[in-house]
Amino acid sequence: MRKTINCATVILFLVLIFGFATAFLLSPDHDFSEEENRSLRTLPDFSWHKLANGSYSEQINDYFADQFPLRDLFVGVKGFSEIALGKGENNGVLLGENGQLATRLFDVKDADGDTVSDFDGFDDEHIRLGADGVNRAAKNSAVPFHVLFTGRTIDITASSFAYSNDLGQELMQALDGYLDPSVSRIETVDLLRQKHEDGEYVYYKTDHHWTTRGAYYAYVEVMRSFGMEEAVLPESAFAIQTVSEDFYGTAWSAGGMKFVSPDSVEFWLLGNESEFSVVADGRELSDFYSREYLTKKDKYSAFLDGTHDVVTIIKKGATDRPTLLLLKDSFANALAPFLAQHFDLVLLNLSSVRADFTNVAKQVEAYDADRVLLVYTIENIACDNKLKRLR
Amino acid sequence: MVFSSLIFLYAYLPLTLLCYYFVPQKLRNLVLFAFSLLFYGWGEPIYVVLMALSITTAYLFGFLIERYKPTNPKRAKTAMIASVAVNLSFLLFFKYYNFFAENLSLLPFVNVPVIDGLKLPIGISFYTFQIISYTVDVYRNDCRAQRNYVSFGTYVTLFPQLIAGPIVRYRDVDRALSERRETVDDFSAGVSRFCCGLAKKVLIGDMLAAGYEYYKTLAEFQPTALGAWMTIILYTLHLYYDFSGYSDMAIGLGRMLGFHFPENFNYPYVAKSITEFWRRWHISLSTWFREYVYIPLGGNRKGRLKTYRNLAVVWLLTGFWHGASWNFVLWGVYYLAILILEKAFFGRILEKIPSVFRHFYTMLLVTLGFLIFSFTDVATGWHCFCSLVGGGGAAWFSSVALYQLLRLLPLVLIAAVGATPLPRMLFERLTARFKWGQILIPVLSAAALLLTTAYLVDSTYSPFAYTQF
Repeated sequence: MRKTINCATVILFLVLIFGFATAFLLSPDHDFSEEENRSLRTLPDFSWHKLANGSYSEQINDYFADQFPLRDLFVGVKGFSEIALGKGENNGVLLGENGQLATRLFDVKDADGDTVSDFDGFDDEHIRLGADGVNRAAKNSAVPFHVLFTGRTIDITASSFAYSNDLGQELMQALDGYLDPSVSRIETVDLLRQKHEDGEYVYYKTDHHWTTRGAYYAYVEVMRSFGMEEAVLPESAFAIQTVSEDFYGTAWSAGGMKFVSPDSVEFWLLGNESEFSVVADGRELSDFYSREYLTKKDKYSAFLDGTHDVVTIIKKGATDRPTLLLLKDSFANALAPFLAQHFDLVLLNLSSVRADFTNVAKQVEAYDADRVLLVYTIENIACDNKLKRLR
Repeated sequence: MVFSSLIFLYAYLPLTLLCYYFVPQKLRNLVLFAFSLLFYGWGEPIYVVLMALSITTAYLFGFLIERYKPTNPKRAKTAMIASVAVNLSFLLFFKYYNFFAENLSLLPFVNVPVIDGLKLPIGISFYTFQIISYTVDVYRNDCRAQRNYVSFGTYVTLFPQLIAGPIVRYRDVDRALSERRETVDDFSAGVSRFCCGLAKKVLIGDMLAAGYEYYKTLAEFQPTALGAWMTIILYTLHLYYDFSGYSDMAIGLGRMLGFHFPENFNYPYVAKSITEFWRRWHISLSTWFREYVYIPLGGNRKGRLKTYRNLAVVWLLTGFWHGASWNFVLWGVYYLAILILEKAFFGRILEKIPSVFRHFYTMLLVTLGFLIFSFTDVATGWHCFCSLVGGGGAAWFSSVALYQLLRLLPLVLIAAVGATPLPRMLFERLTARFKWGQILIPVLSAAALLLTTAYLVDSTYSPFAYTQF
């Protein structure tokens, strides 16, 4: 008996390590992971220099993890095991009621611009510097300046979790406290949180963005803040089209909880979409919506074709429309189609790593804008250094 | 390279085992030596040279010591001291030079330049101690000098214990180096031990570490008493799982290759006094200090005062061995004080009180000790200490600190139970009662390996806490 067990232990162990080693050698390398929406590490080039400073061995480690056989299965097993252990989250992504996911831990920046990894708080001084940047930009731009801070999923869907979002609330309060009262603030966080509590589908369950419905509610608030309430298009004016029912977003990728159900994506159509000209980084798009993304994993990129530095939207043949300059991150992509019904839009991607749009007055002049709207998510306020450079 | 990496598990280990068992017995040490150098050089290619230098000096001096020992003891002693001095000087320079430079420069009119980018060679504290044990063992006639360079090199560089112990005394493996028999039973015991250690390190230790890191970060922005307690409790559990998991893996790998290394941990967290704790924690290090420092100084046989002096030397060195920073010295002094108290009178009082209080006493002191240990910046450590009792502007608790506690509670409970002999006892009882219970050994080993693989695939970042010492 003992002998058999010992042989079995040895054989099983050897089969596993040699089996995976062989599978690793034989399986072809992949460049990109659709599930995780990122490039995978491929075999690093060897150099003596890299070996000596240790970076070669680091890259080889990443290569092994990224190209490991059955990678997606293993990632799912880990996610499942963490939830089974009662941790309620995996890789900093919370699992709540009805399969609602929300990222809790972020790599936030402190006042010196250094990163504090895996943290759900914020550095007060960093927030103050960011608010100062907004105040400065508002003062320097000669036109009306509005700000809309979009909530993170955790702020909006707080009622779906046992986790208390006190730190999120504190962050909002800190931000409010540091903003100059003269800056026009558009409040959507409390509103959308209430909508979520009432059972409305305003934020995706598996992604960090708002749904088209969430964006519509924000649009109504924006118009109100502009003093254009009477021009607001009612919900009934739109034909609501569900264009996808299997959207797995960023929180799903990071959380590794493969068992939750997907989101659906809606387009709210007015019927006049073909009258607009949308130009993204110099390339003319067919429409507000790039439907080819609906067959890929990253379906939110169907809105305004995903990430671009500069997007301009005009209505063909229309004159005398005011120009709205949107300093924004990706949240504005779902919002822009609504606003385009009233304004010519210039969208500048403030969180871009390639372009720098922090000199607001210069951009206002360049695009001859009549109004500025800053749309920035609380996550980016806490986690990047862009706001404090605004001038 | 570390054991808890995919490249070790699925490239290095299969290749090493394949070559090791493929070649005839005579060449196996050579295979081990070559692969151990590769193992070491993977992360620290430059320092392979340093290690080779250490090995060669000790190897050559070993001959001199043995040769002069019968005829000229004085020369033999000089050779022994020279060998130890050369190897210690490498350790002193790479590990402590900058510490001394910084601290001496604090004195008026002294300015010792600091060397930027002086990196600590991984495992130097461990392999230097092994080399010293060889030199002294030869000098004391506890063993013969090793004639075969490859065999001696294998002893020093043997990859299972190279970077974090256990510190193997030369005389314990002397025979195994030249004549060892690898058996299926040993290999199997090695496999289950290795998989157990892997799971301890990756599934529990690393997860506790993540919880600890979170509380430490939280304390910077929002200090609470609850958070401070969680910081040190998680750290205490983490260190045990990290380090004893590493030792389990080392011992397991050793057995796969036919070596029997000494045990390094014996359920330290069930100790009922600090004296007992140190008999159960990092045993190979305590043994080393007893054998090569405490006893040579006279041990406890030369009167009370000298005993205390010897203890003081041992504990200052033990503290300092753990790192070139004042908090480690403080940590050594802390244990010196407690051990002297227990020796003087408190130990006798302890024996009279119920064991539940003795456990509590021991764990409280151990945990507070690891507070000193974990904060290389003494001021931050003091801040954490104040937070424990709600001082220094810390609140008692906060909702996020509480949330984190609740979500980690199952893990902490598993870790706490796992640090006692209970699981092992239960398993032994089960297999004694039901023969088929044995089947759990291969099943659990494979499950541990696969689940660990899942965690490693999800995150490649899994460094060992103890390897930088």
